[in-house]
Amino acid sequence: MAAGFKTAEPLEYHRSFLKENCRPDGRELSEFRTTTLNIGSITTADGSALVKMGNTTIICGIKAELANPTVDAPGKGYIVPNVDLPPLCSSRFRPGPPGEQAQAASQFIADVIESSEVIETEDLCIDRGKLCWVLYCDIMCLDYDGNILDAAVVALLAALRNTQLPEVTVNKETSTPEVNFEKRHRLHIHKHPVGTSFCVFDDSVLIVDPTAEEESLSTAQLTVVTDEDDRLCSLHKPGGSSMSGEKLQECINRATARQREIQKLIEKVTHSVTTAQ
Amino acid sequence: MAGLELLSDQGYRLDGRKAAELRKVQARMGVFAQADGSAYLEQGNTKALAVVYGPHEMRGSRSRALHDRAVINCQYSMATFSTAERKRRPHGDRKSTEMSLHLKQTFEAAVMTQLFPRSQIDIYVKILQSDGGNYSVCVNAATLAVINAGIPMRDYVCACTVGFVDETPLADLCYAEESGGVSSLALALLPRGGQIALLQMDARLHQDHLESLIEAAMTACKGVSKVLDEVVRQHLQEASVLTRE
Repeated sequence: MAAGFKTAEPLEYHRSFLKENCRPDGRELSEFRTTTLNIGSITTADGSALVKMGNTTIICGIKAELANPTVDAPGKGYIVPNVDLPPLCSSRFRPGPPGEQAQAASQFIADVIESSEVIETEDLCIDRGKLCWVLYCDIMCLDYDGNILDAAVVALLAALRNTQLPEVTVNKETSTPEVNFEKRHRLHIHKHPVGTSFCVFDDSVLIVDPTAEEESLSTAQLTVVTDEDDRLCSLHKPGGSSMSGEKLQECINRATARQREIQKLIEKVTHSVTTAQ
Repeated sequence: MAGLELLSDQGYRLDGRKAAELRKVQARMGVFAQADGSAYLEQGNTKALAVVYGPHEMRGSRSRALHDRAVINCQYSMATFSTAERKRRPHGDRKSTEMSLHLKQTFEAAVMTQLFPRSQIDIYVKILQSDGGNYSVCVNAATLAVINAGIPMRDYVCACTVGFVDETPLADLCYAEESGGVSSLALALLPRGGQIALLQMDARLHQDHLESLIEAAMTACKGVSKVLDEVVRQHLQEASVLTRE
């Protein structure tokens, strides 16, 4: 009977739960879904991480390549993120070139990387003006159940933590790079940006970590990215119903709390992997 | 050919296996909530994900719907980080399109499409890590995903890539063996009746060796089918325990 009501009147169905201050899957309004993290599973990639937030599953693979630095930044390397939402993650996506949502997500991740300074791009420089590392970060969604942006940021952060770059020396005589795959060093992560997404129901109720259904029924969405120094790296509110300043401040506070949780999780997983090796 | 010895005198291959030995197969069904059927399969270091949506109404042009059976739509793609060199074009290139077509033809032979006229079944396969035998691993993963989706099939579809070195057929090639100049043959089999769904070979091989190579491939496929059967039964047991309460 509940299933019939849910199909016929999805908004009423959700409203009846929100009146009791909870959600259909039993969560509180400010509760996140269980987040699990698995790193280093793809051995062909230089760094990889798999994140599951409830049903949403995102995998991030990092490949490092050598390249010439850009003319306007000769002492820096660069990071190229790409978010892919393939048709296998949900029936709403069709095969073909990346859709709007995937492109917008890629741009969002690129902005987060730049504003949060997660990696100093000077660390990626090998030979000023001649050789640098390019990190291709491919973030792929395997199962779409809402809140892609948060999971993508966590996956990216964990994969960067896991990345090991081989040692490169430039041969003075032939001026060709020599890569030593045996000696690898980890990337130094300066900041740990973590995202928290919210959505607004009926212009009044604020919920955290929406599922795909909740996202489709919401009247506004908001994503806040903070780092460990309590600095705001990104605040993304694409239109929708308006929000007061206090509500926004609440969201930012929740986001800072979430940042601590996720950072602890990443530390725990990274530590368990290194002790296992 | 100087370099790595694909088959040593004692009969061991590069990764220590014997000639007819398969790589370790690990699989899980029902891994994704969104899809109607899904499976994750690892064969040695090759990791593949298969996801099935359907049967559902035709998407796109209704004119392509068949009046008496379902249309199977396959898409094969590789993750950009799946190979040692970053893959520039993960889908849409010729190799992927050819693979997608082969997968479609393989499954059209096995799935009972006449039970679902005018509808469409989507099979998406993604390779997360590639270490040889891509086609075979995809077929095995897709079989499990189709079973997980509850779509009736005539039989399991099991595939294996075999190669011929020093008068010996090698079962389940890894990437080093495939690229080491071995004549490789990919075979997709419906094991119970011993019927071949797809056979592909693009290398030079003497006619006299063909029979022994196909024999080796069929034995390997039957071995894979036993493993897949075990995985399906295990999954059903777990699922029935959960629903019993």
